[in-house]
Formats: sequence, structure tokens, C-alpha cells
Amino acid sequence: MKIKSIYLFTLPALLVMLIFYLYPIALSFKMSFTDFTGVGIANDVGWKNYDRIFSRQRYLDAIQITFTFSFIVVIIQNLIGLFFAALLFKMPTIRNFCRAALFTPSMMSFVIVGYVWQFIYSPYNGGLNSLLGSIGLESLQHTWLGDPSTALFAITATHIWMFVGYSCAIFLAGFANIPADIQEAGRLDGASAWQRFRYLELPLLAPSITINIVLSTIGTLKTFELPFIMTGGGPVGSTRTLSLEIMQNLFGQYKFGFAGALSIVMLIVIIFIVFFLNRFLKNKEDNL
Amino acid sequence: MNTQLTSLTKIRRKVTFSLAQTGVFLLVIGMLMPVIYMLIMSFKTSAEIAESPLGLPSQLYLGNYIKTLESMNYISSVMNSLGITLSVTVLVAFLGALAAYPLARKTGRFSRWFIMLVALGLATPSFVNITPVYVIFRELGLLDTYLGIIIVFTALNLPFAVFFYTGFIAAIPRELDEAAMLDNCSEWQIFWHVIRPLLRPATATLSLFVMLMVWNDFIYPLLLLTDKSKFTVMIEVYRFVGNRNIEPDMLFPAAVLGSLPLLALFVVFQKRILAGVTAGAVK
Repeated sequence: MKIKSIYLFTLPALLVMLIFYLYPIALSFKMSFTDFTGVGIANDVGWKNYDRIFSRQRYLDAIQITFTFSFIVVIIQNLIGLFFAALLFKMPTIRNFCRAALFTPSMMSFVIVGYVWQFIYSPYNGGLNSLLGSIGLESLQHTWLGDPSTALFAITATHIWMFVGYSCAIFLAGFANIPADIQEAGRLDGASAWQRFRYLELPLLAPSITINIVLSTIGTLKTFELPFIMTGGGPVGSTRTLSLEIMQNLFGQYKFGFAGALSIVMLIVIIFIVFFLNRFLKNKEDNL
Repeated sequence: MNTQLTSLTKIRRKVTFSLAQTGVFLLVIGMLMPVIYMLIMSFKTSAEIAESPLGLPSQLYLGNYIKTLESMNYISSVMNSLGITLSVTVLVAFLGALAAYPLARKTGRFSRWFIMLVALGLATPSFVNITPVYVIFRELGLLDTYLGIIIVFTALNLPFAVFFYTGFIAAIPRELDEAAMLDNCSEWQIFWHVIRPLLRPATATLSLFVMLMVWNDFIYPLLLLTDKSKFTVMIEVYRFVGNRNIEPDMLFPAAVLGSLPLLALFVVFQKRILAGVTAGAVK
């Protein structure tokens, strides 16, 4: 068999993919059946690590927290992004400025956004409570990150704030792709603004909806930095996402085997969800 | 009468529209408030922060910045981030474009498998490969070295680069390759002398994304670097702020300094960055 020499060009990249993606996934998988602690001998423990994940409330909670976080962010971030895009599309004077302004937070790092918002939520002179106080809403003042019932939502809001502009930029590109004569036709037929949006624009926006949902799902299912910086997983574990759990097992307790099992679960969940989401949305694209 | 009426409706429409436009504009400014808040806070004295948490500073007080710059290794961490970004960009651009060329030109089974592998790479969360990478790097003595962090960032950016270049090269007419082939150019010569020069705009966009990633990524340098002198900007900010239990007079200047280079980059290269973000979104 003669291999075309042009394929040799992929060899370096292929090696990198094998060493940094395929091999690590295989090694994680192998480690997940052991009690490896980073040094010394790894004893085979069979399915014990996986058994632990699915039988202890702590880990089921982590999975549920991750899903809740992901679900809320994906829905709200994309709705707000779509809202801004639909309006800005019709406002060319302010469009470019607003698109850039909304996008700015996603250029910042999670570390900095996390610290700044931690202070905004702070009960001591924090921006949010001070704002509520200054407009006479003292009753709504709250220890946002200190209360298990609000901490996760506070972090969710921060994440949404960070990436609304990202969704909006993608939606705007989708709008720009709608041919002008389709818009015109809708107007001549006397369709209302909502009808034009629902029956003309939305179906044509379908590819950008798919991209946005898939990207934000991947991004949120592996969320780590914001809870790590803002709450460290607390209070009482209410913001302990799956990735935070992995990191704590890994570099807090050196349970490499167990962390391996957790990351394999996470990888399978992500691939599974993204695969079906993609397929589902592509189907919808044709039927909108 | 009738024309009067239509001009009235026209005026009313115009007024409604500019009201809506103003409303949207204000909403967007509202979304930007936390960034503005960060800037304002960085110029306030501790006393001002305590007394009027939302007020404007009475003067452009630079004391916080002076204090922060004195106790934070800002300049050296910026240099580290820049050096790492530059090396990673060169490596990722070369390896990515090289692999993308055959993938864009041949659509056989191999190419499809490779693209699948790249997609897997794009979806893989850092946590899956972090433990094995840590273990391998420990064996090879790559922990806490520039080389190690450069290799990791190259690997992390490569799937995106391959994707990005494949799309870009696919749009380059094949006639160019064929003309060069008639002149007896080898595949390497075609890649290097025909394709590579055309990739400059793509590489410029890619380098901005690499910059963004290297600048902002936190997990890998946190685990791989322990030597203070090798810290990237974000690790420096993390260690600096984290050790101080969020004293606002140091937190905000550090946050501004940490974001400043990227925000400046964004202001200058806005169009290119936004075009890169949306490139994959619309076919």
C-alpha cells in the first residue's frame, strides 16, 4: 500500500493528538480502575471508584449542580444574547459599539472576573448590596455567596454576564447572513415584527442557535474557575461542580485513580450530550 | 391630509425607534458596569471604598497601583506570558497549518478520522488530560519549566488551529496547487511557497486566540509552575489577590493590570477577534 506523502504533513499534529489527548484519555481510563495516588504502586480495585461516584450523595450532588449550572446558563445566556442581537441588528448606528462592549467581559480571565464579582457580591461594601441600599431596597441585601440557596445562582449570573456578548456576536453574524430581500418580502406582506422574527429570521438563524447552544454547553459542563475562585465549592458544597470535585481529589488528596474515574464520567457525559444535542438541533434546523 | 398623516406616523416611528435605540444603548452600558466599577474602584483610597462604596473617587489616586506594582511581579509575569504566547503561536501555526493542508485537500477516510480526533480534542475538558500530563511531565522533568508549559499550551491550542486552518485552506482555489504542480513543485514546496503565504491573515487571527488562551488559562500553569519567576500573569494575579483575602485597594488594581493588555489588544484588533469568533458560526 502506498501512502501519499502529503499525509506525512499530518504526522507531527497526529503525534501531539495521540500524546496529549488519546493517550491521556486511555491512561485516565486505566487509572480509574486503580487506587493510584500519584506515586508508588497502583492496586487494581475494579469498579470501586465508579461505584463510589454513583452511590454517594456527594458525587451525585456534584453532577446535579453541574447540570443545573449548565442548564440555566445555556438557556439564559443565549436568550439574552439573542435579544440583544435581534435589536442591535436593526440599529446600525450603535451596533458595532454595543457588540464590542457586550463582548468585552469574555476577553477577561475567569480569575479576574471571579475576584471582581466576589467583591461585588460581598456583604461588606460590595457593589450589589451597596446598590440595593442606595435605591432603597435594603430588604433585598444578601450574603449572596455565603448562602447555599443563592451561591450557585450568583455564580451562574456571573458566567452569563461574561458570555452574553459571545452569544450575541454569533447571533449577529447569523442575522447578517439573512438576505435583505427576505426581510423586504416580509415587510411588504405586512408581517408584524414578531411574525417576521418567528417565521423569517428564526429559521435562518438556526445554524447560529446550534453553534451557540453547543459551545455554551461544552463551556459550562466543565466549569471550574468561577466556583474555584468565588466560593471554593461552598457554602456546604452548594457550588461544588464536577470539575471542582476532580481538582480537589487530584491535587488536594492525590486520589489520582478516583479523579480519573470522575473525569471519564465527565468526558462521557460531555460527548454524549454534545453528540445528541448536535443531532437534535440539526434536525430542528430543518423543521423550523 | 393623507400625506400629513403618513408623515406623522413616520415621525412617530422615528421617535419610537430612537427611544428604543437609547434604551438598548443604556442596557448595554449597564452590562458594562462591572468593568467600569472595577476601573473606578482601582482609583479610590481605602477610606473612600469604605465610606462611599459606589461613589466616584475624589481624585485620580494612583497609590493603589504603586502599592500593587511594588508587591506584585507584574512586569516579569507579563514577560513570561508574552514569551510563552510567542513560542506557542509559532508552533501551533506551523503544526496546525501543516496538518490542515492535506485535510483540506484530501477528503478520504483518513481525513475524516483525523477531523473526528480533532473534534474529540476540542470537546475534551482539561481535567481529563491533566493528570496524565502531570505524571508524564514529572517523569520527563518538564514540571516547572518554560518548555513544559509551551508544549502543553501548543497541544491545547492545536485542535482549534487545525480546524481553523482547514476551513481557511479549503477556500483557497485548488488551481493554485495544480499550477504549481505543473511547474514540478513538490508538495512541501507548494505548502511552503504557495499556501503558507496566503495563510497570513488566518495566522494573525489565530495568534490573537492563542494570546487570549495563554493569557487567561489558569489551570495548567497553576499545576505545572511552582517557581515564582516563571508565573504567567493570571497565576501572579491569583497568588497575589488570593493571599490577601481580597483587600479591595489591591484587588482592583491587580484586576485592571491583569486585564489591561488583553483589553488593549481587543480595542485594537476588535474586528479581527470578532470575525474569528463568528467564523465557524455561519457557513
